[in-house]
Amino acid sequence: MPGPLCKPWEHQLSRRHWLGTVGAGAVGALGCGGLLPPVLADEVNQSKRQVLFVWIDGGMSQLESWDPKPNTQFGGPFRAIDTSVPGIQVSELLPRTAQQMHHLAIIRSLCTQDNSHSAGVGRIQRGDPKNRGVTYPYFGSAVAKLMGPGASKLPPYVWIKPGSGGFKHQDAGFLGPRYGALAFGDGQPPENLVRPASLSADRARDRSLLRQRANERYLQGRPSSVTEANSYVFDVAQTLMDRKELFDESAFSRKDVERYGSHEFGRHMLLGRKMLEAGVRFVKVNSYGWDTHGDNFNGHASLMPKFDQAFAAIIEDLAASGMLEQVLVIAMSEFGRTPRINGHIGRDHWPEAWSLAMAGCNVRRGVVVGETNPQGTWVESEEYDIGHMFHTWFKALGIDPHHTEYDNGGQPLPIAHDDCGVIEELLS
Amino acid sequence: MIRQVDAETLKARFEPHELQVIAADPQIVGAYFSPCGTRLVAGGFDARLRRWSLEADEAVELPAVEGHNGWVQAIGFDPKGTELFSGDSWGQLRAWSWDKHHVRPAWIQQTAHDGWLRDLHVCPRGDMVATCGRDQVVRLWSTTDGSLQRELRAHEHDVYCVRFHPDGRTLVSGDDRGVVKHWNASTGACLGEFDASELYLLHRLQDVGGARVLRFDGTGGTLACGGTTPKNGGTVQGAPTILLFDVASRNLQEKLSLGAPNQCLVHDMHLHDEGFVMAVTSGTPGQGQLLFQRPGDEEPFVKTTNMPNCHSLSLHPDGSRLAVVATNRGSNGNGRRLDKDGRYPGNTSPIHLLQLGPADA
Repeated sequence: MPGPLCKPWEHQLSRRHWLGTVGAGAVGALGCGGLLPPVLADEVNQSKRQVLFVWIDGGMSQLESWDPKPNTQFGGPFRAIDTSVPGIQVSELLPRTAQQMHHLAIIRSLCTQDNSHSAGVGRIQRGDPKNRGVTYPYFGSAVAKLMGPGASKLPPYVWIKPGSGGFKHQDAGFLGPRYGALAFGDGQPPENLVRPASLSADRARDRSLLRQRANERYLQGRPSSVTEANSYVFDVAQTLMDRKELFDESAFSRKDVERYGSHEFGRHMLLGRKMLEAGVRFVKVNSYGWDTHGDNFNGHASLMPKFDQAFAAIIEDLAASGMLEQVLVIAMSEFGRTPRINGHIGRDHWPEAWSLAMAGCNVRRGVVVGETNPQGTWVESEEYDIGHMFHTWFKALGIDPHHTEYDNGGQPLPIAHDDCGVIEELLS
Repeated sequence: MIRQVDAETLKARFEPHELQVIAADPQIVGAYFSPCGTRLVAGGFDARLRRWSLEADEAVELPAVEGHNGWVQAIGFDPKGTELFSGDSWGQLRAWSWDKHHVRPAWIQQTAHDGWLRDLHVCPRGDMVATCGRDQVVRLWSTTDGSLQRELRAHEHDVYCVRFHPDGRTLVSGDDRGVVKHWNASTGACLGEFDASELYLLHRLQDVGGARVLRFDGTGGTLACGGTTPKNGGTVQGAPTILLFDVASRNLQEKLSLGAPNQCLVHDMHLHDEGFVMAVTSGTPGQGQLLFQRPGDEEPFVKTTNMPNCHSLSLHPDGSRLAVVATNRGSNGNGRRLDKDGRYPGNTSPIHLLQLGPADA
């Protein structure tokens, strides 16, 4: 219901119009006593919501992270430690994150369907919907489609990853290539981002105009999706050219670099924070090399502290700046790792009972949802699949997962698995 | 090391023959002969010290000793064989009065290390036990009362292994970057480093390999450092490798490459007085080797590959037998796999007791 001091026209203001004319920073100037009417506030808040998706490729061990089982047959060598929330413990390999537990929610009752990387990565990131004969989008592409780029006009889905970069249109599935990920390989901007000195700004603008007209002419009578995507990439490049300072690591504060870590993951997470601050809708930060079938415990002893350092730092920063109210943070892999310790002192793939961590954006703080049995082999509470997580994440972002549909050329498609629902315990 | 005997003669004298296999269920980290030779002592993944009597034809398991946490990875006896020391992955160090009938607590250091106590070794004089751990520190303790004698703090990373020189005056410690430090045991001064950095690789985000096991030969003239020449992290792969150093100069003398990358890690070794290296390796599940090789030879004169994923090796005090801890076959696999009773199975550690030399000896 509108507040008594607000006018009806305020509720007809579209999100785009609101952002374009007033801007989020001018909220207090509306004459609503600093309070927005609830419906409008929801719309504004949704427009500001963002996602940080931390993807630990290969499979982080739940037993060496979020769901330790010390002193049990499969518990491994590490201790469990207390966190900032009394009664909640995590692995000793997460000492800094433990101190941010009051911002986090851990879910320990994931039971998903795929134990191979080749199918599991896509299946998890697409939300494993019912098969309708189409390739569903990754979560980042889904958010890019459903929420758009926001006021920053920066690309809505960026992926900061080791290795090569480029435009990863495959992530978009049936949504079409323009909703793919713009990948910053090794955290570097796309090649040739900076306009050469020999090319004046006026000349560059003229060239861009010419390209635009050529595209329009080419588009006449042709299917539009590929051309649109091509054109979109140029537009995105233009917005990035205006924000090239985002990639200037030399401008990052030394203190931040030390806090996040000078290792690859720390550098990428810090760049991820810069992207969120600049207004990018969906930022994926990716680490590879977690498939510890061999030497799992020394592997996690090396890997986890780097994850811990960077993850704790960004949670702390997002909380301190107030951004955590609007940024949904998710840290996860495609599955967990087997309780059984194999002969190579490794752990294999285990989708049966594993964990992830979340924070921000309507996610309850300082809670653990679900539990596994004392040996860590099976879920003892209600099992949740990735479809439940997609429902929950969409709802956290202000998107009704039951009443919002994709339009695939006239074919309505649900945005998350029809048979799953929101995990209400995770949301405030 | 001395090259006195040809390889064929050595093979005839030392080729291993299986005497029996002891079933250790659940898994253990390693098993070692007691100095009296009548007991096997093992550290478990289940926080227990386990024992077997070897006095009958078939080994008999004795009651396990409780009191540890996590993994009991570090085990050692004093030279007289009257004290047993054990360390666990939560940092606890325990001393036990030992004879073949009883194990009684002597003293406890609850936090000898902050976290994983990786290795321990008792000084040949018997007065000190050295420990090392994930907290990057090497510590020397009185074997009499457990009092801290000295802290050696020059490593910058997880210290995997420690070993006294046979003369007891110096010791070495190796870390996860392949840095092996040489210390004066009396003063704590760092005398220098052995460069085993070729056993280390930063792969993506993971520090892989490192100096995993250190052993001196009987004369103290050669130091062997075992591990892998890492190829990648994640599912770690690399050629099992032993680096042999001249102790006096700390220079690398020889590199023994002991198999394909899927054989991976040298987990344990012994430098035999006859001048050859005994080593066990563990790699991709199913891959395990017991190898005897002389420095300078291209190939091992004994190579046994029928024991999957070998993790420890112990030479009996009389030199005639060997205990090798391996892993059951089919130890790996993704996802839900249940046993015939519908239970989720753990793995086991068969302990292979091997006769060295002719089977009828």
